[in-house]
Amino acid sequence: MTFKRFVNVIEIVTLVVALGFVVALFANEPGGGAGSTAKSGPGYDVYLANCARCHGQDGQGGVGPKLAGVVTVDFPDAREEIAVVRDGRASMPSFKNDLSATQIQDVVAYTRTQLK
Amino acid sequence: MTASTAGPVTRASVPVKLLAIVLAGAAVSIALGVYGHVHDPTGEKPYTLFFSDTINLKVWFATAALFLAAVQVLLALRLYDKIHVPRTAPPWLGDAHRLTGIVTFGLTLPVAYQCLWALGFQSTDGRVLLHSLLGSFFFGAFTVKVLAVRTHGLPNWLLPVVGGIVFTTLVLIWTTSSVWFWREFGFPSF
Repeated sequence: MTFKRFVNVIEIVTLVVALGFVVALFANEPGGGAGSTAKSGPGYDVYLANCARCHGQDGQGGVGPKLAGVVTVDFPDAREEIAVVRDGRASMPSFKNDLSATQIQDVVAYTRTQLK
Repeated sequence: MTASTAGPVTRASVPVKLLAIVLAGAAVSIALGVYGHVHDPTGEKPYTLFFSDTINLKVWFATAALFLAAVQVLLALRLYDKIHVPRTAPPWLGDAHRLTGIVTFGLTLPVAYQCLWALGFQSTDGRVLLHSLLGSFFFGAFTVKVLAVRTHGLPNWLLPVVGGIVFTTLVLIWTTSSVWFWREFGFPSF
């Protein structure tokens, strides 16, 4: 196999892989799957809009640490968790300009009671 | 007679070709940006391969992509006779340039997928917003580059300019992600 032909093969393989990634972006779209949970409420909405991208939809962690079943251990007092959400900590951004005090309380309550 | 009719058609078609290529690239960038915006980020780590964490994989893959992109720029400079090392350009230089570009692109795919799938288009602060914008722009610029390579009759300056834009974008993406990670969390292990 000549070098040019080898490069052609690698190019085709890479193109197929790229198409595979594009398909995967749409094929695995969350929200309607059998495993999705039927949660609702203001805390849930705030969580999905602001927290799920880092901590995972079910709080199992991702870029950010796991929350499910952990936050009540790490923050026995809910006010400590509220302070972290409000003011940020390390790589976690502050949400005091994005969320109202009520929304922060709602989402903290959600993480402490609904994420198991 | 034939030459007088063929000339104007060729000249007129260059702007059309350019426009079509730029529109295709813009469509890719916009599609990625829109997807990242409307998609609910999962926060998942879909793969780690042989790395200890997905973020480590992303930092190393992005760094490897940047290194190969720099190699590709050097190969391009030799192809355009802007540097003279080696003194005689080997016949496989063009294919080596292509291969480094393909592998660079391949390395960016799992990084971009995890960014789009798990994080989406974010604007929590300036760095994150810039990274989201550049990430969407990169694949559009890359599309323009590939189409420009495959399209005949385009101006000679186009490929170096688009190649430079793609490389610069990759440098900025890497700076707003991998460099940021090193500064915040230290040099990542495998």
